[in-house]
Amino acid sequence: MRGYANRLIDLTEKHADRIALQWLGDVRMNPKTPSYHTFSDEKALSHAAAFYRNFRTLFCTEKPFDAARKFFTKYADERYAEGIPLHEAIYALILMRRHIWLFAEFQTLFVSAVEHRQAAESLTRTILLFDYATYVITERYEELMKREMEERIRRDGGPGGQRQAAGARPK
Amino acid sequence: MQAVATKLIDVTETNAEKIARQWFADVRKNPKTPSYHTLAEDRAIPQAVDFYSKFRGVFAAKSPFEEARRVFAKYADECYSNGIPLHEAIYALTLMRRHIWLYAEFQALFVSAVEQQQAVESLNRTILLFDYATYVITDRYQELMKGEIDRQVSALRALGMEESFTGSKVGIMACLMVACGFLTYYYHAVMASGVIFTHLFYIPIVLAGIWWRKRGIYVSLLLGFILIVSHLLFMKEVPLTDDLIRAIMFVVVSSVVALLAEGFSKIEVLYRPAAQAGSAAKT
Repeated sequence: MRGYANRLIDLTEKHADRIALQWLGDVRMNPKTPSYHTFSDEKALSHAAAFYRNFRTLFCTEKPFDAARKFFTKYADERYAEGIPLHEAIYALILMRRHIWLFAEFQTLFVSAVEHRQAAESLTRTILLFDYATYVITERYEELMKREMEERIRRDGGPGGQRQAAGARPK
Repeated sequence: MQAVATKLIDVTETNAEKIARQWFADVRKNPKTPSYHTLAEDRAIPQAVDFYSKFRGVFAAKSPFEEARRVFAKYADECYSNGIPLHEAIYALTLMRRHIWLYAEFQALFVSAVEQQQAVESLNRTILLFDYATYVITDRYQELMKGEIDRQVSALRALGMEESFTGSKVGIMACLMVACGFLTYYYHAVMASGVIFTHLFYIPIVLAGIWWRKRGIYVSLLLGFILIVSHLLFMKEVPLTDDLIRAIMFVVVSSVVALLAEGFSKIEVLYRPAAQAGSAAKT
């Protein structure tokens, strides 16, 4: 599996910007990610490219859950601060994963029967990573929402706090 | 792909109960699903059996997203009503998916090279379905949370009588004040008695606290003032102590109501952006 996985990782790392661009084209038009339709190109591309560049670390680590927690907690923090709703943040990530495979398929990375079997194993490993990612992101979003509510209660406990509380979360 | 997919669906459907039990044993012990550790078996297993039984419908649907929305919105509703946090509900579903494949592998469903290749395609289809499932469930949970917040906000608004009361607050309060003044005059000047009529004063006092918060305290001050002046004018021979205590109690009760009402309005303000954010996310 390792040989194939390496090829997949190399390809993803080498073409991080290109895959990120294809991903951006997708989230820009996808009806399930409306928050990205008006999102800054530069910002969106930077977090997609960051993910593709870190793919090797996430894929090859001995403790995938710990690595996923570290990376995707940051991802969740950033998306939350940018005002992206949870279901869109996750769907954008799902699209990031699909674009790795779309690119790999387009490059005809797996041709022979053996490669197909290895592809299945690589796919399983990628899915495992994304299962952890979804778990970490949803958990983190819940934590951030709870924290925000607590902070608001604390901040608006004093007089004149109502006006502040009514303000939107900074984007 | 069709043959492998059919085999996978057949095995899943036929062994729905068995796979569901294996899944339950997993979520029961998995550190990522602590809410399931204490969830009753008869609540968790039927949910998994239901999912495995409907797997064919979702897998083979022509519009998989629509079918996923139908099936997984119900799953989200059930998990939400069981008090399962979103990340655990999703992880439990992830485990449901894994148990399909664990069982299929255990049954050596994909042996030949062709079957292996078809298995990849089958896996892709399953993953697509679960991608939709994750989207639908997170979306639905946010909708449910927003609904709950809306209900709480409505309850707070009802408490402040913001929606149910549309009349003139000042007019109503003026009528109540006149009635209180008349009662005071009648009991002090005509009946020469200080019996419990002052209990009725708490109606305008509480209403003023709810409607005008701290400014409502002026109503209690005015009523206390009327009570004491009336006492001094018409009941000179009776000690003032009782009415003085009553007047102080008016202010105390009025202050407590005002503080509570202010607290409720703050909570409402805190909830409102969350509810609005939920609406914005839906559009």
